[in-house]
Amino acid sequence: MIAIPYLTALTTYFSYGLLFAFGQFRDFFRKIFDWCSANTLQGYAPICLGLEDFYIRRLYLRIQDCFGRPIASAPDAWFDVVERYSNDNNKTLKRTDKISRCLNLGSYNYLGFAAADEYCTPRVVDTLKKYSPSTCSTRVDGGTTALHLELEECVAKFVGKPAAIVFGMGYVTNSAILPVLMGKGNLIISDSLNHNSIVNGARGSGATIRVFQHNEPSHLEEVLREQIAEGQPRTHRPWKKIMVIVEGIYSMEGELCKLPEVIAVCKKYKAYTYLDEAHSIGAVGKTGRGVCELLGVDTADVDIMMGTFTKSFGSCGGYIAGSKDLIQHLKYTCPAHLYATSISPPAAQQIISSIRVILGEDGSNRGAQKLAQIRENSNFFRSELQKMGFEVLGDNDSPVMPIMLYNPAKIPAFSRECLKQNVAIVTVAFPATPLLLARARICISAAHSREDLIKALQVISRVGDLVGIKYFPAEPTKQQQEGGKTVKFD
Amino acid sequence: MAKLYVKAVPPADLNRNTEWFTYPGVWTTYILILFFSWILVLSVFGCSPGIAWTIVNLAHFAVTYHFFHWKKGTPFAEDQGIYNRLTWWEQVDNGKQLTRNRKFLTVVPLVLYLIASHTTDYQNPMLLFNTVAVIVLVVAKFPHMHKVRIFGINADK
Repeated sequence: MIAIPYLTALTTYFSYGLLFAFGQFRDFFRKIFDWCSANTLQGYAPICLGLEDFYIRRLYLRIQDCFGRPIASAPDAWFDVVERYSNDNNKTLKRTDKISRCLNLGSYNYLGFAAADEYCTPRVVDTLKKYSPSTCSTRVDGGTTALHLELEECVAKFVGKPAAIVFGMGYVTNSAILPVLMGKGNLIISDSLNHNSIVNGARGSGATIRVFQHNEPSHLEEVLREQIAEGQPRTHRPWKKIMVIVEGIYSMEGELCKLPEVIAVCKKYKAYTYLDEAHSIGAVGKTGRGVCELLGVDTADVDIMMGTFTKSFGSCGGYIAGSKDLIQHLKYTCPAHLYATSISPPAAQQIISSIRVILGEDGSNRGAQKLAQIRENSNFFRSELQKMGFEVLGDNDSPVMPIMLYNPAKIPAFSRECLKQNVAIVTVAFPATPLLLARARICISAAHSREDLIKALQVISRVGDLVGIKYFPAEPTKQQQEGGKTVKFD
Repeated sequence: MAKLYVKAVPPADLNRNTEWFTYPGVWTTYILILFFSWILVLSVFGCSPGIAWTIVNLAHFAVTYHFFHWKKGTPFAEDQGIYNRLTWWEQVDNGKQLTRNRKFLTVVPLVLYLIASHTTDYQNPMLLFNTVAVIVLVVAKFPHMHKVRIFGINADK
């Protein structure tokens, strides 16, 4: 539920309509010129429809300097952003040797493990010497080391499931698992804002896909009842199995899943649950175990738990945790396990070490400090932004904090102005988000200090005034309140 | 002036090509674009209001027929071609018929036709052009015409 000023909604549609009209106009004349030139091969169908890359050609390239900025250091609280220039209106961007030391509000560095760590990095270096950078093999070929077995056991224990399986790539964890678990005659019910890896995995499975409204357990129940009553398409036979897929923290919204309600609905209708904790594992919860810990849900009630190591753990890859039978089945059948290179041993060691730090098994309480720090940083930053009058999505305790921009012209304006003030922010726009709801997404890290956050707030407030994205009235400061009282006494 | 806020709820529609039409403010923007187009035509051509409404009606017919009922597919490669055989009108609201948005889009050409005919005092040849435009647009929007390709026109093998 996002509150938008009505005039802003109208101007946003008008802006996109204008961009679309100009793009179509240019495409129209491009077709005429291409037809006159007659250079194309005769009798061949086009390999790519022109419509399919319309967005890239006519909208994205205009402001592509605001996306995909190269960096030249580890993505810590502060990092080096490489400066680029363009001579042809952003059609091509060229790098320079100059860098800007920027405050990093864009990386998913939730616990600060993306940079060197006193406990993790020496162990990773030792593992690099002992095992080598890569196994160069699949898990079933020669790619399983003692480290991989230890990692799977460590992840299963951390998550609270009997067994786990680890993959070398986070995206593949979803897109290769779902075709193995679901097939023809099965039903997948997916949240409307699930990640693209889930969408592609569901499409690749061949199961029937239905979508429920984002984070609405009541609509989920409605969809479940309707689909169970109707049965399979055409034949109306009962579904073989039903799976509901939700995410712990939605990366574009910063919202926590309403997991207790979803679990209750799934238990009622005998549907399996699949929980994608790509962003929430390690970042929320008292001991970093994710939304199950934060929301008080027993992990035994969630059938399949998925997560990635690319965010809080400062590594790469992902895992699936579940029952022993499920994991054994995946090890026999999953193409990401049978054909893909196994996770790199130093990357595996990084995950093991960061889990130990989080659990306090490194002999210190740095893990608990990091978790408390990210919670405190997130809630401080969110409340300050809301006080300034920004529309901030997401829940408390969530380290993902989208600030709404809406108008397409404000996306590059906000991004460029913040970069001038040495604050690096990721902006997100259509089609990654709905057309009306462009935003800047801020990710808070435990590595940010209070001074870093205050500087970021000052820059964002100044740029917010300049660009005009404070859509709500700001809260009065304490001095104004005291002044009001003084005047009242007079 | 107090700001008027509207609530935006993400719909259960994954088609980026049609999802934007379910958010608040689209109907108002649509009507305002038509109105400002009329003012623009009046300013540029300096013709009578009736002729301007006729021009707006015919332009609206050409644009909406092309983009809603002729052009197929979506401008995103990530959809992997699953909508390549569907027009925008067949994609909207996941193909569900008689929704509020479909009713709105059916009423707009009718109202435009009434305005254009009334302001041109029901004179030919403007009446003929307006009538042909409104018949084509409204027939194309009937529920019975869902995925129908008359004589294979605009059908992809």
